[in-house]
Amino acid sequence: MVVVPSDTIVLPRRSWRDGLTSAQAQGWILLAPALAIYAGFALYPMIEVFVLSFQKWNGLSPAREFVGFANYIFIFRDDPVFWMALGNTVIWTALAIVIPPILGFLLALALNQALPGRNALRAVFYLPVVIAPIAVATMWKWMYDPFFGLFSTLLTDIGFQSFIPDWLGNRRIALYSIFAGYVWQHAGFSMVLFLAGLQGVSDSLVEAARMDGASRFQVLRYVILPALRTTTTVVVVLSLIQSLRAFDIVYGMTLGGPAQSTQMLALWAFTQSMQIHDFGRGAAVAVVLLLMTIAVIIPYLLWRARNDKAQGRSA
Amino acid sequence: MSAATAPFRQMGSDRIDPLLVVLWIVLIVLALIWIAPAVFIVSTSLKSTQDVMGGGAFAPPTKVYWQNYASAWERGRFSTTFLNSVIVTFVKVPIGLAFSAMAAYALSRIKLPYGKGFLALFVFGTMLPFQVMLAPLFSVVNGIGAINTFIGLWLPYIAFGVPYQVFILHGFFKEVPEELSEAAIVDGASHFTIFRQVFLPISLPVLAALFILDFVATWNEFAMALVILLNNRNWTLPLALMGFQGEFGSDYGPLNAAIVTTVVPAVVVYLIFQRYFVGGLTAGAVKG
Repeated sequence: MVVVPSDTIVLPRRSWRDGLTSAQAQGWILLAPALAIYAGFALYPMIEVFVLSFQKWNGLSPAREFVGFANYIFIFRDDPVFWMALGNTVIWTALAIVIPPILGFLLALALNQALPGRNALRAVFYLPVVIAPIAVATMWKWMYDPFFGLFSTLLTDIGFQSFIPDWLGNRRIALYSIFAGYVWQHAGFSMVLFLAGLQGVSDSLVEAARMDGASRFQVLRYVILPALRTTTTVVVVLSLIQSLRAFDIVYGMTLGGPAQSTQMLALWAFTQSMQIHDFGRGAAVAVVLLLMTIAVIIPYLLWRARNDKAQGRSA
Repeated sequence: MSAATAPFRQMGSDRIDPLLVVLWIVLIVLALIWIAPAVFIVSTSLKSTQDVMGGGAFAPPTKVYWQNYASAWERGRFSTTFLNSVIVTFVKVPIGLAFSAMAAYALSRIKLPYGKGFLALFVFGTMLPFQVMLAPLFSVVNGIGAINTFIGLWLPYIAFGVPYQVFILHGFFKEVPEELSEAAIVDGASHFTIFRQVFLPISLPVLAALFILDFVATWNEFAMALVILLNNRNWTLPLALMGFQGEFGSDYGPLNAAIVTTVVPAVVVYLIFQRYFVGGLTAGAVKG
């Protein structure tokens, strides 16, 4: 045994015998750093968004003037870009909760079969998830280059050069061009979650269904899909939350242009505040997006808590 | 589950299933499409401008043009920004994870007033989008005079990294049997000792998974750095890449070299620690 100066041993012993209070003191000390930083740099800014949305402020001057609902009235009544951004966010989210999850589900289903090299295949589909979104934006912007980019070159190679659209410059398609890059990046995320969910599907149940002469489709419909109900909810909600956050990929590819046709709420809140220096209006836009997000988060977390409890009881 | 099954067979059957063969071929084609952008970027990063403009998209470079990397590193000041990214990541990730583990221990093992409430507050934060509060983040960090400093970046990074880690580690610590820590408590050990000597060692796999996950997320983070690091001497790689694209966007070779530089560290870490990475990601989303 190492000889330790006696007071270093005695101190914790005495403090423990003092009872709950000192255990509590230790608990507070352990909790404090994480809680303080989280409160100061995540929760406080969130509250600050609400406060700012009722003020007029340029971000630097000491004067912050209370203006009531003026910022909201402005964005709802006088700011056509806000409505464009809202519309695009809704379109983007609708696509993002359908396309990457379906693609990810099909990939997971396929890569759950006994196929040679399936781990390598999984790694390929998952790879884009670890690439920085801003790098995905830069990559895809270059691939959409009208002259030397990948898509234009390939279309030229097969003789379709007159059909090359201006991928990111055409207002009608730019949003969908960006979304293609988003799908490339996010399908692997859904795939991994569905693969984890498929591990929970009982093998013996699948086998029993086959023995009873169920077709592939019937096994999928009546055995696998019901077992994946929880996973599916999780994937859809996480996809929804992620899609509301879309910022880097739009910033990197178009900055919201051309003519605001790819503007989204998160980016517009940033642009209003940090580039137009109207923190009040930016905050009002952010509050709209934040409320949309919270309206999803809270019911989802309550559902999760209920679900976990039910699982705990049955286990 | 079907790992024990021979290739191309359905579970419980030893005949080759033709549908699975077709499926496999479709998957290979799809995988080639999925990897094509990466191949295109890497091959462009090694081409001279004439090659980029003259050859086909997937034509290999006539002569490997490493100069693109030197040129990107010099003009994009990547030796500085790469170092910045390394500092930002290697300070933030361990400290953040340590704080998360401490908090998770306190919330799962010590009876604290409002402990459940604090936990709920952290869980709420796991889904909170920081993209919504970039402007207030700027003003808060500006308020403590930390714009253009790494501390100004570390604090919000830790704030938004802590919730998920606390959530996962709390779930893990909660399941540790009482007997393991009781003996130590009877011996008079403090919670700090039990945390360090009992809980940290047994949770190494979880900590490793969270470390890898957080490493990639921190390395890749762009939006918060954009509002806090305004001076290009402090830029991290994602910012430098964006700046490079703005300034030299039509120098295709160096631009793609810059992309590769930014992406490679995260990809290498992912490929080495793949198992941990996917484990850390799915742990929170699909439990049980």
